[in-house]
Amino acid sequence: MVNLTIDGKQITVPKNATIYEAAKENGIDIPVLCYAKKLLPYGACRICLVEVEQMKGRLIPSCTTPVTEGMVVTTNSEEITKVRKTVLEFLLVNHVIECPICDKGGECDLQDLTYEYEVVTNRFEGEKFDLPTDEVNPLIERNMNRCVLCGKCVRVCDEIVGYGSYSFINRGFETKIATAFDRGLHCEFCGQCVSMCPVGALLPRPFKFKARPWQLKEVDSVCGYCGNGCTVTLGVLNNKVETIRFNDKIGVNDGNLCIRGRFGYSYVNSDERLAKPLVRKDDRLVEVDWDEALQAVADGFRAAQEGTGVGILSGGRLTNEELFLLKNLAKTIGTENLDHSGGECYKGVTEGLLETLGIQASTGTFPQIEQANVVLAIRNDFYDTHPVVGMVINQAVRRNNAQLLVVADKRGKLSKLPRAKTLLSGPGLELDVLNGLCQVLLDEGLAKTEDVAGVEQLKQSLAEFTPDQVAARTGVAADGLREAARQLAGAENAAIMLAYGLPYTGLSKELAVAAANLALLTGIAGREGSGLYLCGEKANSQGAIDLGILPGDKGMGAQAMLEAAGQGKLGALYVVGEDPVAAYPDRDKVEKALEQVPFLVVQDIFLSSTAAKADVVLPAASFAEKEGTFTNAERRIQRVRAGIPKPGQARTDGEIIGQLDNKLGGSLAFTGPAAIFAEIGKDTPAYAAFDYDQIGPQGMVWGGETLAPPTRKLGAAAAAPLVEGDYRLVTGSTLYHSGTTSTRAKGPLAVVPEAFVELGREDAGDLDIKDGDMVKISGNGVELKLKAKVDNRLPKGVLFAPYHFGESGVNRLYKGETAIPVSVSK
Amino acid sequence: MAETAENVQVLICTGTGGLASGAQGVVEAFEAEFERQGVAAKIGSHCDVKKTGCRGLCANDVLVDVILPGQDAVTYDFVTPELVPQIVEQHMLGNEPVPKKVAGPYYDKFLEKQQRIIFSRCGIIDAESMDDFLANQGFTGIKKAVTMKPEDVIEEVKRSGLRGRGGGGFPTGVKWSFCKATPGDKKYLICNADEGDPGAFMDRSVLEGDPYGVIEGMMIAAYAIGCGFGYVYCRAEYPLAIKRLQMAIDTCYEKGILGKDCMGLGFDFDMRIKAGAGAFVCGEETALMASIEGERGMSRPRPPFPAVRGLWTYPTNINNVETFANVAYIFYHGADWFNSIGTEGTKGTKIFALTGKVKHTGLVEVPAGTTMKEVIYDVCGGIHNNRKFKAVQAGGPSGGCLPAEALDAEVDYDSLIKAGAMMGSGGLVVMDETTCMVDIARFFLNFTRVESCGKCIPCRIGLKIMLEILERITEGEGQEGDIEMLEDMAIDIKKSSLCGLGQTAPNPVLSTIRYFRNEYEAHIHEKECPSHACKPLLHYRVIEEKCKKCGLCPKVCPVDCISWEKGKVAYIDRDKCTECTSCYDACRFMAIE
Repeated sequence: MVNLTIDGKQITVPKNATIYEAAKENGIDIPVLCYAKKLLPYGACRICLVEVEQMKGRLIPSCTTPVTEGMVVTTNSEEITKVRKTVLEFLLVNHVIECPICDKGGECDLQDLTYEYEVVTNRFEGEKFDLPTDEVNPLIERNMNRCVLCGKCVRVCDEIVGYGSYSFINRGFETKIATAFDRGLHCEFCGQCVSMCPVGALLPRPFKFKARPWQLKEVDSVCGYCGNGCTVTLGVLNNKVETIRFNDKIGVNDGNLCIRGRFGYSYVNSDERLAKPLVRKDDRLVEVDWDEALQAVADGFRAAQEGTGVGILSGGRLTNEELFLLKNLAKTIGTENLDHSGGECYKGVTEGLLETLGIQASTGTFPQIEQANVVLAIRNDFYDTHPVVGMVINQAVRRNNAQLLVVADKRGKLSKLPRAKTLLSGPGLELDVLNGLCQVLLDEGLAKTEDVAGVEQLKQSLAEFTPDQVAARTGVAADGLREAARQLAGAENAAIMLAYGLPYTGLSKELAVAAANLALLTGIAGREGSGLYLCGEKANSQGAIDLGILPGDKGMGAQAMLEAAGQGKLGALYVVGEDPVAAYPDRDKVEKALEQVPFLVVQDIFLSSTAAKADVVLPAASFAEKEGTFTNAERRIQRVRAGIPKPGQARTDGEIIGQLDNKLGGSLAFTGPAAIFAEIGKDTPAYAAFDYDQIGPQGMVWGGETLAPPTRKLGAAAAAPLVEGDYRLVTGSTLYHSGTTSTRAKGPLAVVPEAFVELGREDAGDLDIKDGDMVKISGNGVELKLKAKVDNRLPKGVLFAPYHFGESGVNRLYKGETAIPVSVSK
Repeated sequence: MAETAENVQVLICTGTGGLASGAQGVVEAFEAEFERQGVAAKIGSHCDVKKTGCRGLCANDVLVDVILPGQDAVTYDFVTPELVPQIVEQHMLGNEPVPKKVAGPYYDKFLEKQQRIIFSRCGIIDAESMDDFLANQGFTGIKKAVTMKPEDVIEEVKRSGLRGRGGGGFPTGVKWSFCKATPGDKKYLICNADEGDPGAFMDRSVLEGDPYGVIEGMMIAAYAIGCGFGYVYCRAEYPLAIKRLQMAIDTCYEKGILGKDCMGLGFDFDMRIKAGAGAFVCGEETALMASIEGERGMSRPRPPFPAVRGLWTYPTNINNVETFANVAYIFYHGADWFNSIGTEGTKGTKIFALTGKVKHTGLVEVPAGTTMKEVIYDVCGGIHNNRKFKAVQAGGPSGGCLPAEALDAEVDYDSLIKAGAMMGSGGLVVMDETTCMVDIARFFLNFTRVESCGKCIPCRIGLKIMLEILERITEGEGQEGDIEMLEDMAIDIKKSSLCGLGQTAPNPVLSTIRYFRNEYEAHIHEKECPSHACKPLLHYRVIEEKCKKCGLCPKVCPVDCISWEKGKVAYIDRDKCTECTSCYDACRFMAIE
C-alpha cells in the first residue's frame, strides 16, 4: 500500500494504482476521455492532467502515472483548468458539432466536458472534418468526423477482442482511425468498439434515431444466449428493448459482449412472437384462450399418462425457478421421463465429471482464467460458443503471456492468438489427442498421481496412445504433443476449456473424461487459480443440470423418449423452450417421433418448426420479460430481470407450468422468484447457501471460486472413431449464432443470414467451388444444398456446416457423430 | 593530420557527403592512375587508397589526404577525378604538392579549435576494415572493461561525467545503473540511430566512419548492465551507415567478437540493426521501442521508464550513437582523462553539424565550453557571402534560436538551455540577414506538425493550429493578438503533450518570438517581411540605392518584365510580373524588395 495526498486528502491505495484510480476510489473525480478501466494505460487525451508536487514544472497524466509514497497531487487549479480547456478547444476546432442529431448526445464525454469546462467560445479556428461515413455494414456506423482519436476502439479490439480491426493511420493532424486499407468495417461485430467510444464516432446502427439516451430505462439482466452469463443492460423505451447499454460495472463480463449479446436482442421485439395459445382443430392451429389451452393440455397429459406416459423435453434457457417448477410438474403428472438439451450433449458433465471428479460443474471461475499461465482449449469452436470467455483467454495470452494450446480439428480465432499452438487433428479426433497428452504425462513422470485412483487402469488403456501412435492416427506432431503436455504439467495456473452443446453430441462423455483425466494428472482439478471448465451452450445449461432436469431412475432420456414416440410407445410429449426439429441431431428421428406421438405440446416464444407440429402451442416469455435466476458455466447464479412486458397474452414459463400443474390437480404456483429460489435450496443444497435477495451485481458462485472434487478417479481412455473418406463434415456453432433463437435476431442475421458449408481453399480449388456457390453435400443417405464459404480455416478434406438454421437440414445429415463421411459436388 | 607511413597513403572521404560529391569516382581514378603509371614501382613503395569516413569539412568535398612516407599529410579539397592524374604526376611522382589545389589555410583554421576524439578514427581509418580499427585502439576498451566488475564499469562511466548525447543530457552512468538495478535476466540494449532532426548528421558520420567503435561502446554497456541483446535502431534514410554497420556486425560475428562468449571475455551479446520506416517520432525512445516491436511508432506513457519496462516489456537501456562512441574512448583513456575535458557540467567533446548560411558546412567536434561564436566564426569561417549573421538554431526543431547577442553562450547543456536553446543532438542551422525568423519558426513547425504521431491532442491539433497562424502571418494575413495567442498555445502544448516531440515542438516559435518579436510585429502590423524572405510580402520593387546595375535580374526574368540598360537601375513592370521571385533570388545585393 502507498500513502499519498490528493487535493489535501490523505489516502492509502494499492501500490499498482494510478493517480486517477486512487482519486476515483476516494471520491475525487478527474475528467478523462481516453481512459478505460479495462484497457492498458494510454495517456493520449491529456484531459486528466494533474499537478504533482514532486514533479514540478510539467503536468502529469493521472491515468498513466502510478502512485508513489508521499506523492502530493492537486487535481484542480487554474493552470490545470486552463490546459484542459485548451485541449478541449483544440478538439472542438475540427470536431463536427452535430449534437442535435448525434445518437451519443446526452451521454457524450466530449459534450459533457465541453459543458463542464464552459468552452463557450473557441479562440482557434480551422476546418471541420469532412470524412466519409462508413455505413457499409448493417451494425456499426463509423463517423470519423466525430472521432477524438482516444484509441479506445483500437485498443479494445486488440487487447480484449483480439481481432485487430482498427489501427491509427497517417501522421500528425491527418492521423485517423481506419480499418485495413481504410475499407468498410468487416469484423466479428461484437460492438466492443461501439461500447467504448466516448463520442458519437462509433454507433450501433440498429439503434439509430430510436431514442435519446436519457429516455431509456436501463434494466440489468443476464444475456439469454450462451452459458457465459454476461450482464446485459436492456435499454428500454415504450416497452421495447431498443438497445443493449454499455455496463462495465456489474457482472462477469466487464462490459464485454459478443455480437449476440449486443446486437442479438431484437428477437424479443419480433412481430412473429407468439401472443396467444393455439390449439389444433381440424388440423389447423387456432387461437384459443388460456383456459381452453391449459385444459386441453391437462386432458391430453392425463390421458397419455394412463397409457404409455408423458415425456418432457426442456431447453436450457428457462430460469432455475422455472426448471424447478417443471421438475415438480413432472411429479404431478407422474412421469420420470424428463430431460433437456437433447439428452446427450451434456453427459460429459453429468456422467463424465461425476464419475471422475464427483462433481457436475466447472471447477473454477472465469476471472481465474486471465491469470492462467497455460490455457488448453478443446476445439477452436470454444471461442464461437463462448466468445466472451474467449476474450478472457485473449487477455490471459496478451496481457499475462499465457501459453495457449488448442486441440482442434479446424483452425479458428483461438489459433490466431499470439504464440497459440494448435494441435490440429483429423476431424473429430480431439479425444485421441487428449489421451495422448495424458499418456505423455504418465510416461514422462510428469503426472501428479498422489491421491488419484485408477492410475494403472488408465496407463493400460493408454497403451495405444503413445505420441507416435496418436500422431499416426490424428496427424498431430508427436513432439508438439509432448511439448504441450510438458507445458500443461509445468504451469502454475492452468485452465482447460471445453464447450458442450447440441452440435457436439458425439463422444461428449468420453471427451469430458479425457479432459478430467488431464485435469487430475496435471493437478488442475480443484487447484486454486486453475480450473477445468465445461461450458454449456445455453444460458442456463448449468442450472438445468444443477436442478436435475434429467431422466429419473425409471424414466427415459430425450433420445429414448424420441425413440419410444417414434415407435408409438409414448402418449404425449411436452416440449418447453426447445426446437428439436431444427436443432436436435437426427432430424428424421425427431420428425418421426413428433408425427407418431399422439399428443404434442410445445411451449415457446415462436411458432418454431417443432411448434408447427404441435397439438397445443403455449406462448411463453423471453428472458427479457421475466424474473428469476440463471446459473452460468462457472456456477455463478445471477439475476434475470424483466425489462419489457410479455407480448399479448404470452405468459412466463413459470406461470404456465404452475397453472398447468393446478389443472392437473397439483398445488404448484409461480409465487415469485424469491420464494421459489428458497424452495430450490431444499432440493439442491448448493443453492441453499444464498437468499435470492443476496444475489448481488456479481452474482453468487455456488461451491466457491474453486470447487474441490470429492472424487479423484481417472476414467479409462476411449478412442474416437476414425472416420474415413475424402471429405468429412463436422458441425458446430458459429460465432454469430447461438442455438436457433439467434436466427430470429436481426443483428446476427445481418452478418450470417443463412446456413452455409465451409471448406478450405485447397478443397475448393480441387472441386472448383467458389465462395457463394451452391454445393451438394451427400452423406448418411441425405443430400443437402448449401452455400459455400471458402476460407483457410479448414484442413484439406474437412467441411464444416453450422447447425443453427433448421431449414438447411444439417441435422438430417448429422445424427450425433463426431464426423460424417460425405461427398461434395457443385 | 600528421601521420607518417611506410606506404604512400591516399585517404579519401567516402562518407555520404564525400560520395555525394563524387568520391567513388576519385577513388577509382586514383586506383586507375596508380595502375596506369605504375606508381608503386616508380617510387618503390606500395600505394594504399583508403576509403575513410567523414572528414568534417563536407562543404569542400571530395577531401583527399596524400601522405608520402616520412612526410606530413597534404590535404586537397574539391578533388575531382580529372584532377587525379595531376596530383599523382606532380605530388606523388614529383614530390611537389599541386599548388592551388591544396586546401587553403581555412582547413587548418577549421581544425584548430576542434578536438577530434570521437572523430579521431573517422577520416583516418578505412571504415570497413577491422584491422584498421584494431590498429587504432579498437576493442581495447571492452578488454579493459571486462577486467572490472560490471558495477565498477558503471561507476567509471558515472565518474567520467558523460551525459547522453541524444539531446536530453541525462548522465549515462546513472541511466545504466537504473537498468542494471531492475531485476530480470533478460534485458535489452538499444542504440538510437534514428537521427531525424533537419540538419543533424553526426550520428550518421560516426556510424559510417567508425562502426566498430559504436559496437565496442555497446559491448561495454551490455557487459555493465547485463544486456544479452542489442538493437541499433537506424533510420532507413542512412543506407551507407546501415551497410557499413551491418558489415561490421557480420565481421564481428565471424571473428567471435559478438555472439556467445564475446571475444572469449566471458559474456554473451548479440546485436542486430532495425531499420526505421521514416518517422521522426521514432527517435523518441518509447515510440522507437514500439517500432522495433512491429507496432506503429507512437509514444507510450512514461513511467514505466524503459529501464523498468521497455522493449517487449523487458528492462531496456537506450543511448544515442555518439554516447556509445564516447564510452569506448572513456575506456581507452580512463574516466579522469574524459573528465578533464569540457566544463563543470558537460564533460568531453560534442559534435555539431553545421548547416545553413555558414561558410564551411560540415561536422565539427569541439570540447564543451567552446563558445558558439568560436564554432561559427573560427571553426566554420563565418557567414556565407559575408552577409550579416542573424541567428543560429540549436537543437533542431526541438531547440531554439540564439541571436548574435547570445553567441557567447558556451556549448554546454546548461548554458544553452539558459540561453533559450538546447544542445539537442547537435544540429546548428546558421541563419543570416536574409532569413526571416517567422518563416524559420514556420519551417520547423511544419516539420513537427507532419511528424507528430497523432496520439495526443495538443501535439496533433495544437501544432497544426500554430502552424496555420504562422502561415497566415508569413502571408501577410496576421492578426492583432496572434503573437500572444501563439505564446499562450505554445506554453499549453509544452505542458500537456505526451512525449518530447510535442513538449519541445513549440520551442522554435517561443525563442523566435523572444529574440525577434519585432519581425513578427512587422509582418502583422506593417505587412512587411524585414528579411524579404516571405514571398507573399515581396513588393517586386528595385531599391535604387542598393541596385548595383549589374543586369542580372532581367536575364533571369522568365516573362521579360524587367527593363535595364547598362549603367542604369533596373525597373520591374508590375503589370507583367508573375511574382515568381526569380529576380529576388538572383540578386546578390538584396536590391529587390
